Amino acid sequence: MTKELEHRFVTELGNNQNIVHKVCTLYTNDKDSHQDLFQEITIQLWQAYPKFRGESKFSTWMYRVALNTAITLYRKTKRNVSTIDNDAILFKIKADEYDETEEQQLKLLYNAIKQLGDIEKALLFLYLEEKNYTEIAETLGITEVNVRVKMNRIKNKLRTILNP
Amino acid sequence: MMDELELLKKDWKSKEDVFAKLSHEQIYPMLLKKSSSIVRWIFYISILEFMLPHLLYLFPSVRNSMQVYEDMGLKSVFIALTVIQYAVVLYFIYRFYKRYKEISVLDDAKKLLSTILKTRRTVKHYVIFCLTLIVVSFVVFMISIYLNDNFVENFNLGEKAKNIAPEKLKQTVLLLIGALGFLLTLFMGAFYFLLYGLLIGKLKKNYKELQQLEV
Repeated sequence: MTKELEHRFVTELGNNQNIVHKVCTLYTNDKDSHQDLFQEITIQLWQAYPKFRGESKFSTWMYRVALNTAITLYRKTKRNVSTIDNDAILFKIKADEYDETEEQQLKLLYNAIKQLGDIEKALLFLYLEEKNYTEIAETLGITEVNVRVKMNRIKNKLRTILNP
Repeated sequence: MMDELELLKKDWKSKEDVFAKLSHEQIYPMLLKKSSSIVRWIFYISILEFMLPHLLYLFPSVRNSMQVYEDMGLKSVFIALTVIQYAVVLYFIYRFYKRYKEISVLDDAKKLLSTILKTRRTVKHYVIFCLTLIVVSFVVFMISIYLNDNFVENFNLGEKAKNIAPEKLKQTVLLLIGALGFLLTLFMGAFYFLLYGLLIGKLKKNYKELQQLEV
């Protein structure tokens, strides 16, 4: 029975692992931390798996556990300060020679996202994953109105970071 | 800005295949690893904090003070304090365990943060209780020394302190005990609040952010 459960879980996680990878990319700055967070999310998912009744899609259920782990349970190990500094410098140079190519814009955007708070990242993540406001509100435990308000603030914040 | 976000969305979706896919063989061992989540840390450190005040009894001087209490006629006060202390400790442990059990990764983010913070708050109240108890016992001890006329004998100081005037000796002992009580409280307080800050700094920040949304 356990073996069967294990197998089912690993298969489902394997098929949906992109979700976890994306969360890890958003919340960590280097490869080691990425792996760390992936490991922790996997443990949390596995521990909660017996309670997964299949009422919702496995992936929907994963979003919640993965984000909760990133926002709350994951203990940030050594924050790589030098990397952040480098990013900031890089970001400045890039901003100076700003041109309109999509790739440039995307680079700037991703840099800007790194500077958002944990909750803002979660909101943006769910937005990018095309979750509707109801789902975002339920995952975070806030009202839909507040999701809207917060989303606008995030857009403004990104705009300010991009055009200082 | 809207355009930029749309661009981001498009790029985000195309990112599906940039991550190195983990094989089933790589995922299996992950299931066996121990969690290093903040909740686990909070659990172990809280247990340590529950035990710490009791570890003080391992010091011979603290144990011997029982005799001193007895000699000074404080035995019943001491026993009463101990009974109260353990009753309260048990109550705190029960509450802590109950709240700890309520922590579920399946709750929404706000609820999860709030349960963890509540669990931790139980420990905070416990530590404040212990610190108060330490201060109270030191104060009771000091008052009884102050009111005690035979304290030189009770403390077996007769031999060592022959040449010092009893009044002066009393003052010095009072001062020493006061300083000791102050330092002990300070040390335990600092130890605790440092851990507290380290453990829940991030949670508090995120919880605040979610709460601010609700205005």
